[in-house]
Amino acid sequence: MNRTVLLAASLAFAFSAGAANAQNQCVGKVPELRVIAQASPSVLVTEANLPEFEQKWKTKVTITKFGEQERRAKARLDLSLGAGVYHVIYMEEGNLAEYVKANWLYPIKPLVPTEYDFDDYRKDMSSIATIDGVQYYAPFEGGGDILMYRKDILDAKHIKVPTTFDELEAAIKAVHDPAHGIYGWAMRGERGFGMNVWRWIPLYVMNGGKWLTDDGKPAFAGDIGVKATQQYLDLMKYTPPGGGSASWSDAVEAFRSGQVAFFIEVDVFGPWMEDPSKSNIVGKVGYAPPPAPLPSAGWAHGWAISTVAVKDNDDCLKAVAGDFVGWSTSKEMEQRRLKAGMISDIGRQSTLTSDAYKKAVNPDWLKAVLTTQPETRVLFLRRPEWPQVGDSLGLVLEQLSTGQRADVAGALKEASDQAEDALSN
Amino acid sequence: MGSLVTKAIGYALLAIAAAVAVLPILWTLINSFKELHDIITPIPVFIFVPTLENYSTILGSSAVLNGLKNSVFVVFGSVFFGAILGIPAAYAIARSSLRAKAELQFFFLSMRFTPPVAIAVPLVVLYLQLNLYDSVTGLVLVYLVVSLATIVWLSVPAFARVPLEIEEAARMDGCSSFVVMTRFAIPVALPSLFGALVFTFVLLWNELLLALILTAKNGTLPVVAAAITSLGKEVPWGVINATTIILTVPPLLVVGLILRFIKINARAR
Amino acid sequence: MSARFRWLIIGPSIVYLAMFAAFTLAGSIYLSLQNRTLGEKLSPFVGIRNFQRLFNDHRFHNALAVSAIWELVTVFGTMVLATALAVALYEYVKRRQLRDLLCLLFLIPILLPRVAVAYIWRFIYSPTLGIANYLGTQVGLPPSIFLSSPDGALYWVAAVDIWQWALFYTVIIAKLIETLPPEPLEAAKMDSAGTLVTYGQIILPMLSAPMLSLALVKSIESLRSFDLIFIMTGGGPGTATETLDLLVYQVGLNLTGRVSYASAMSLVLLIVTAAGLAAIWKGTRKWAV
Repeated sequence: MNRTVLLAASLAFAFSAGAANAQNQCVGKVPELRVIAQASPSVLVTEANLPEFEQKWKTKVTITKFGEQERRAKARLDLSLGAGVYHVIYMEEGNLAEYVKANWLYPIKPLVPTEYDFDDYRKDMSSIATIDGVQYYAPFEGGGDILMYRKDILDAKHIKVPTTFDELEAAIKAVHDPAHGIYGWAMRGERGFGMNVWRWIPLYVMNGGKWLTDDGKPAFAGDIGVKATQQYLDLMKYTPPGGGSASWSDAVEAFRSGQVAFFIEVDVFGPWMEDPSKSNIVGKVGYAPPPAPLPSAGWAHGWAISTVAVKDNDDCLKAVAGDFVGWSTSKEMEQRRLKAGMISDIGRQSTLTSDAYKKAVNPDWLKAVLTTQPETRVLFLRRPEWPQVGDSLGLVLEQLSTGQRADVAGALKEASDQAEDALSN
Repeated sequence: MGSLVTKAIGYALLAIAAAVAVLPILWTLINSFKELHDIITPIPVFIFVPTLENYSTILGSSAVLNGLKNSVFVVFGSVFFGAILGIPAAYAIARSSLRAKAELQFFFLSMRFTPPVAIAVPLVVLYLQLNLYDSVTGLVLVYLVVSLATIVWLSVPAFARVPLEIEEAARMDGCSSFVVMTRFAIPVALPSLFGALVFTFVLLWNELLLALILTAKNGTLPVVAAAITSLGKEVPWGVINATTIILTVPPLLVVGLILRFIKINARAR
Repeated sequence: MSARFRWLIIGPSIVYLAMFAAFTLAGSIYLSLQNRTLGEKLSPFVGIRNFQRLFNDHRFHNALAVSAIWELVTVFGTMVLATALAVALYEYVKRRQLRDLLCLLFLIPILLPRVAVAYIWRFIYSPTLGIANYLGTQVGLPPSIFLSSPDGALYWVAAVDIWQWALFYTVIIAKLIETLPPEPLEAAKMDSAGTLVTYGQIILPMLSAPMLSLALVKSIESLRSFDLIFIMTGGGPGTATETLDLLVYQVGLNLTGRVSYASAMSLVLLIVTAAGLAAIWKGTRKWAV
């Protein structure tokens, strides 16, 4: 035991000394660092602070931003065809399995300088960024689910905050009043593995559903799948018109415009409800963990380093890229994001529990997030073919939710067959 | 009486068309000055506190200006070279035998059949080899296929309608084929030719897929515009509206100028 | 014109285009005969297996059908509306400035970035937050769910495409009418033939060649409308608006990068397109100039 500790300590010392050396050697050696990203708030703050990083390494950093779909296509093409233009890649949870299988990403921990305190990253988000025990990206935004409700509507109808799923269903029915412009629920309906499927999965997992049978075949067309889908469709009845194909944006805006009473969505949307320039319901929203036994669907976005663009023997490029990843997700940067008014993108546990943060957010929301945190985990299928599988499922779900078809079992079987096809190819 | 009815219908149709053309833009213009909570309301808001924040967000971004610069170079370059190569080619086709004319015209049109996704992978691989990836030149070379095909396709009918008598007269005066083409055929067909160029310009200005696939840092305007739709995390309606207004101005100016040019030319004839 | 001159000026274009087409086509066929996904470096040859799978792929069949409907609706919608408006413009708006103003207004929709147009109209169509339902209910129409309607979604999206293109084409066709010699029109007017008759029998046949050109160009453009549809509905509800180019993009680049399968789909689309348009071209050449 002692010997191991000694070995680890000396390695750590050597590494940090080496890192310091790398810092001295590599200044000016890397002319350009290229990053592919989405224009999310954290990325924008990083971009605004680039001068100090560029100064430190005498490197020009170019962050090329894309819309979500385009970013996926571009990153994939870049890595697959060997273009290797982007050194640092904006990663998301849905594609991680594919990228890892294709060996496109470095394990991130060794490349991030120790001074950035790697273990401070939120455990829920780190676990989402990890496959087979190896973490591949450093998270800066993500989270799990949260229940949001209109305190004023609940008070008016004397309904207490639901703590179980059955109570939630009953409460939704009780407040649903379209004649007066109040809908009980808002939910994603548009097809997509990150869209309507994302809201279906917690229902499935809540009922004990598994993705694959023991012999590796899709299992979601079974009884549990049918039950979960019935519950999903049931809830859909209480959504505003057009809810059958609502995107997450439509659902958020429906809630934010004041027409919806209950809403389970990703927790980062909470602070959005309190933004007076964007929300019509400031101060009227209550927050709670998702009613038991609903699980919390975890997601995380972060920075990864490309093995295609950064060759293994290019120590300086690795050093600069690693430092970029650490610097952009550091405690310091998160505090700057907070100052810039970005409350929702927090990747570090220390930021979440810091005083500055507590002052900036609604305390009920923070309490709900911290309570739910241990429950948040990956609920989707962790395979490279996940987007294909999820897309097939989302497709039939939308057909069901918009009334194009009514046979739940048949629809799920169809999606399951396509998923099996995708998984076996 | 019948003609009065058709006249009324005609006016109504035009009025509706004009309204439908312009109202969404006016609504976009109004919304571009609103804060988000004024946009996402069930009942449209006409009285509100305006903000310039949406505009400052985009105008402050160098990405938009770079995108504009790239678009200008790529699209003008493609249209220019397409015109140089395509207009003479169209003339020659228009003056060919009937059968050759039909076959050649279709050949040029068929260049536009290839779906972008199918050619994405082979093109990227080739461009990486030739060092053309993520370059204005590379994109111009690909867009040239589109501009050549479109310009030729649209110019052949224009030349076909140039009266042969003019050319025959010039030839009898001893002019070479080249002179006949440049001093007689092209000037007569000029308004339609400009129309073809404007058409091609419009087509290429908004081209997204090929630009997305073949550029990495030096994206054109549509690529940058697509990026703006993910600004922040919510859909930034205010910023999207402001972007739309801003992105429309350059092409509107260009097209307006070209139309002016055509009119002056036509009147001078 | 000497043959030498002719080939001198056509030659370079043909050579360039032929090289480009040959290369990309060869590359695409090569890909389609493999089982490549972007996640793998290499892939075995599987011959025509991808094409065989397409034969049984319901989603592919659906995409073909949706694309066909989309083509017909947008091309016919554009041409008919544009012609009607151009005729009205030419006939009823005599004042130069007003005509120019209208032309400028009609050009605005097509110049907008497609992505922006998609978002704006998607918002206008929003059942609860958009202005379409608000205006509709003001004039007594029942509210619609527009893009969430499995039967209507495709047509609502097509309306946006036609909004951009028909107004643009109106300007072009109006300018075309202006270039016609005025004599036949005056003669017909003096015979006090009705306006529709005038246009139907005199002007349109004279413009048949350019209008056919325009229609064919629109046909090809309509095949590329996936970015509009993708943002407005994502291909939904279900697969109601999933055209073939959208499916190809999803399968090939977006979901898991199955480029070989996507290439096979694209090649089938290419063959269908080429055959269809060639048939139309041959068929209408009878009355083209």
